[in-house]
Amino acid sequence: MIRDIFVMALEAMRSYKIRTFLTLIGVIIGVASVIMVTTAGGSVSSFVAGQFNVFNPTGMVIGTGTGGATPQLSMRSVVFTDNDVAKIQNLSYIKTVAPVGVVPLNKILKRDGFLNWESRPGQTMYASNSALLEIMNVKIGEGRMFEEGKNEVVISKSTAEVFGKDKPLQVGDTIYLRRVDGKTLEAKIVGILKASSTTNMFNAMANPGIICPIKPYYSSYFGSNAGTILKRVVAYTVLLAEATDTKHVQDAQNEILNYLDSGGSDASKYKDQSLDFVVITQQYILVRIQQVVDVIRVYIVAIALISLLIGAIGIANIMFATVTERTREIGTMMAIGAKRRDILQLFLYQSTIIGLLGGLIGCILGASGSWFVVDLLNRSVQNLGGALATGTITVIYAPEWFVIAVIVGIFIGVAAGVLPARKAAKMDPVEALRYE
Amino acid sequence: MSEYVIDIDSLTKIYQTGKTDFKALNTVTMKIRKGDFVAIMGPSGSGKSTLMNIIGCLDRPTSGTVIIDGENISIVSDNELAEIRGRKIGFIFQKFNLISTMNALKNIELPMVFLGGTKADRNRQAAELLGKVGLTKWATHRPNELSGGQQQRIAIARALSNNPSIILADEPTGNLDTKTGEQIMELLVELNKEGKTILLVTHAIALKRFANRVINMLDGEISEES
Repeated sequence: MIRDIFVMALEAMRSYKIRTFLTLIGVIIGVASVIMVTTAGGSVSSFVAGQFNVFNPTGMVIGTGTGGATPQLSMRSVVFTDNDVAKIQNLSYIKTVAPVGVVPLNKILKRDGFLNWESRPGQTMYASNSALLEIMNVKIGEGRMFEEGKNEVVISKSTAEVFGKDKPLQVGDTIYLRRVDGKTLEAKIVGILKASSTTNMFNAMANPGIICPIKPYYSSYFGSNAGTILKRVVAYTVLLAEATDTKHVQDAQNEILNYLDSGGSDASKYKDQSLDFVVITQQYILVRIQQVVDVIRVYIVAIALISLLIGAIGIANIMFATVTERTREIGTMMAIGAKRRDILQLFLYQSTIIGLLGGLIGCILGASGSWFVVDLLNRSVQNLGGALATGTITVIYAPEWFVIAVIVGIFIGVAAGVLPARKAAKMDPVEALRYE
Repeated sequence: MSEYVIDIDSLTKIYQTGKTDFKALNTVTMKIRKGDFVAIMGPSGSGKSTLMNIIGCLDRPTSGTVIIDGENISIVSDNELAEIRGRKIGFIFQKFNLISTMNALKNIELPMVFLGGTKADRNRQAAELLGKVGLTKWATHRPNELSGGQQQRIAIARALSNNPSIILADEPTGNLDTKTGEQIMELLVELNKEGKTILLVTHAIALKRFANRVINMLDGEISEES
């Protein structure tokens, strides 16, 4: 008999196709957005977690800025000396240190034929040592790393194309770099970085276009730009460092800060009083991104739950309307032998079927929707030119959420149907039969 | 078993409307034999509908005893009352009251569904009854695709589906033209001849002639019997 009443419920729903469909939409949207958000969120989370492998998990940036719970680099003052670099290099949990000096360029020039010069607006050039690439987990695609003291540079794939994609700069080419102080230096291109490896999670240092040795490009430039105190000393804005292993990243960070804050460091003398020393680890950055992703996820799940609630109210609303509209039929069914339980089941099945169907369709739509959302995210990751991250996000479906979504759909159907169905079952058959 | 299929003794029904009580039936005593064709007549408010509802097990008496085919309906539970309705009573309504979402055959089958017969039995019985009212061709049509007369025939077939001993017809011709009404009445007469006890509630004096007994009601009491 339960089957017969179930079939009756289905028939009733078939008779009110548009009404059933519109009621379904509410549930579908709710369930689909829950699936979409959890799938897209989960995919992004595991992508972010995967970045631990892409980036050097022991890497960190040492600089000045504002400290505290959410440290920020300001990149404003040039404070770290070679002495500091050597001292930090000797700390027990530090593997390597690479100083980074910023060399702003006015122009990049190339000889075109004998007399003609082609020029392009300059970009930021980073001066460092050979440890830089290891710490940044950047690889050379073609050629080799520069040698200290020589007029050699390593450029990125995109910098190689500044004079046009059709005539890229090659290893062995010579370019001329005009610094902002007006001095032009010859540079032989000895290496080109791998395309995907022009990437750095330290967004302050994103996209190093050109990497050069400190001598001759940075040390000779320094005196003209560093202000009065530091005229004779070569100093750097930031240092990149690498801890001995992933377990000691925190220890390394503490050691560095202890040294810098001790007063024995050169940097503590040159640092502006309003600034703090800041050490930002790769791990910290990944954790921060994860936190942002989680917050967004919670927020959207909350919205999805609200739309599910609205879906439930929609079901309840339409069920009440249906019960009222079918009052006389309910009376008739009671007159021909339907028990209150039968009437209750009839309407409860209807709302449950709507919930179940909504859940199932929502799952399918949500699954395809999350594929679409992840695709969109991948496009925007690519549009960032790899400034933030590398690789693509793969869709990772969480089966438990599909089960939860269907159960929630059924639950919503039952919950929304209980009151209308009880109203129907409790009707007085005499009154119901008299209903016009 | 008693020779009476309906045995009513001192039946009183009081409705409470707000603070005032309304006595719809006042100590009505009435006995109906198996195979009777009884017309219950009277103006609006005379209590004939209330009497009909109580005989049809849709309502309970305030006091007095009502025994329907051997069952004292004052002392049974809601579920048992529904079961008695389904098994012993066949309803025919003025407005046919077919279920709009079901086709003719399923409407006829419905009372059997609530009693829980097997699907094969139900189908066979419903098809047989559809033939009896001459509408086999219309089995898969929904009520809104049928004429009033056809709908009432389906309703009669539905009333017969659990093979009840009593048929309650409440103004069965009220929504039909005279000619169709006559045909419906003839169908009821035929059922009566087959042994069904028929209670006909009506305003229409013209229908008196189909009955072998007429009970007139006024102000909640039986005013006249013939």
